[in-house]
Amino acid sequence: MLGPAPVPAPPHAGSRNAVTGHDGPPTVGQMSGAVLDREQLGHLRHWDNLSRQWPNDWSLMQGKGTSQDDFGGYRFQLAYMVYGLALTHRHRLPAAPGLFRPTMQRLIEKLLLPEVWLYWRDVSRGGAVFNAHLVDQLHEEWDPVVRDNIMYSAYVQSCALLHDHLFAEDRYAAPGALTFRHWSFFWGGGEKRFSYDRDSLTEHLYWQMVENGYLGVACEPNCVFQICNQPAILGFRLHDLIHGGSRADEVIAGYEKAWADFGRLDENGHYAMMVLEDSRAVRPNEAPSPWVDAWCGALMTMWNRDFVHRHYPCQVAAFLVPGDVSGDDGTLSVRSAPTREVMGQTLVTDTCDTGWVSAWASEMGDRDTLDRLLAHVDRRMNPTWRDGGLYYPRNDTPTDAHGRRTDIEPMTGNVLLGYARLNVPDGLWGLYQRPWGPEHHTEPALVEVDRDVEVSRAEVVDGVLHARLRRETAVPGEGRVVLGRLPEGARVRLDGVEVAAPGGVVDVPGGPAVDLVAAP
Amino acid sequence: MSAPPIRATYALVDHHGSAVTEATYRGSWQLVQFGFTHCRVVCPRALAKLDEALDLLGDGSPVVALYVTVDPERDTPEVMRAFLAADHPRFTGLTGSAAQTRDAAAAFRVFARRGADPDEIRHTAITYLLDPDGRPAHHWPDTADAATIAADLAGYVLA
Repeated sequence: MLGPAPVPAPPHAGSRNAVTGHDGPPTVGQMSGAVLDREQLGHLRHWDNLSRQWPNDWSLMQGKGTSQDDFGGYRFQLAYMVYGLALTHRHRLPAAPGLFRPTMQRLIEKLLLPEVWLYWRDVSRGGAVFNAHLVDQLHEEWDPVVRDNIMYSAYVQSCALLHDHLFAEDRYAAPGALTFRHWSFFWGGGEKRFSYDRDSLTEHLYWQMVENGYLGVACEPNCVFQICNQPAILGFRLHDLIHGGSRADEVIAGYEKAWADFGRLDENGHYAMMVLEDSRAVRPNEAPSPWVDAWCGALMTMWNRDFVHRHYPCQVAAFLVPGDVSGDDGTLSVRSAPTREVMGQTLVTDTCDTGWVSAWASEMGDRDTLDRLLAHVDRRMNPTWRDGGLYYPRNDTPTDAHGRRTDIEPMTGNVLLGYARLNVPDGLWGLYQRPWGPEHHTEPALVEVDRDVEVSRAEVVDGVLHARLRRETAVPGEGRVVLGRLPEGARVRLDGVEVAAPGGVVDVPGGPAVDLVAAP
Repeated sequence: MSAPPIRATYALVDHHGSAVTEATYRGSWQLVQFGFTHCRVVCPRALAKLDEALDLLGDGSPVVALYVTVDPERDTPEVMRAFLAADHPRFTGLTGSAAQTRDAAAAFRVFARRGADPDEIRHTAITYLLDPDGRPAHHWPDTADAATIAADLAGYVLA
């Protein structure tokens, strides 16, 4: 593949594999006293900042596509921020539920806003090249989860279940907890309201899977993508963890049989992109497009790790190019497929290729590739700090004067690069295969964290809570954390000095980070 | 597990040639499996498993076992009767016209589609249980074993 990287590796917390094979024991979930680095904390802060924007303020999140149709839509940005938070909580800051829970709730609230799902009213009618022949059978559908549209419904399902699984709650099990509603003063008559909850939505998706022979549920009418059915499988797994049962295993077994007719990979070794429901024709990953392999691989690995790892090296090699055309400067960028012409039109879409390949490399434990991709974006894609958060602002300019890739979409710059930095090798696999048991929720933890408190370490070692905390002056807040589930008589120390913590409340001092220890 | 969200209605012909609907078996629990007699793998395994589950449940249980074809062209009442009498005598076969069997499959949200091999039909292998009023009560995925099904059945029909 590519030579060694002369650029210094950016600091990463936690242990990482540089290999992609998996003969040894899993490495996820190891606690080592590691702390998050500045960039990782910046991504978390940016996600929190975005979650706090006013309803329908989508600043920094607007991509090239119109009407939320495409792969850079708000739904994907919101969902993968939730996934990224879940991975960070599971693998890096397990004793900080108070840091993640409110942010995930705000993001899920945004995921339910009509601006996110109203595209379905139009997309449900068909008329695209892959379903134009079906328009007589289709109709305008307002309910965004009732048929097809797994590219939205599965994210609502899996995000709600992730929240309830990670925090041992039933927040989204309440009737109507996942309600899609729309009303306009200006048009459309009465309110449109479609009420679901995490369990009724899961039940609905499951039976759609059954009806379709487990091949999967369509995104746009007639289009069953491999990628977009993976989040539903994650949702079934989380449902099984909460309720018992084996729906995920059942769906996977059926999925494997159904796709055996078509092959998960196309004849060139890339993931088959989709199957057309009516003709059973397979669309390969022609060109090929990096996002198809990367997105599919980064998700499918949760239940099919060996397969995904086995094919990763050859697949990813097709997409990577040295970052500097004048010579190998150690950086890597991602080569997108040529822009397609369809129905005489140039396709305008956010491919998010850079972001998806980074997220994929992260999940595969390919540290060398990931570091070199991150080196490229840090040099050429304008890393920007705002309100203590790190992001890479949208840039539609394809390359710089030297031909080096510069274009970047909001999905990549807001979300996926952070996801890649915060994930650990086999992180999603670990979330799926090595879930927390009930004992986790009895351990001491930071159960509330004010907005202006930065948490770079939060773990329990031998019953002792360890955290590293810092006041962030770029955002408002009271500078407090609340410790919960402490053992009787626990004593709290900040940098070795015992402090009072009435009701578990600890005031975090300004200045450099402090180490908190709460021990019996 | 909640009751499956299915209509569970049908208007078919049993393997004796009599017209039947879900109301025909009112008063009994209906154990319903879809398939086809030429099925090489899924149906033989599923029927054998259900035979075992019913054996574990014991004689005299108020359960009617029904095998509904997704291949009405080949599965005439005579074919179904001969097939079931040979190896699965507890079961009653149900068939009908293409439209009738298609409607029945849709009412149970069963997937059935002919594969590249014309002899092969891919189909849902879920087993359904309807209560004595013909309402959906439970379902088991193909992965459920005989002991599980028998234990669940006992909880319903012997309660």
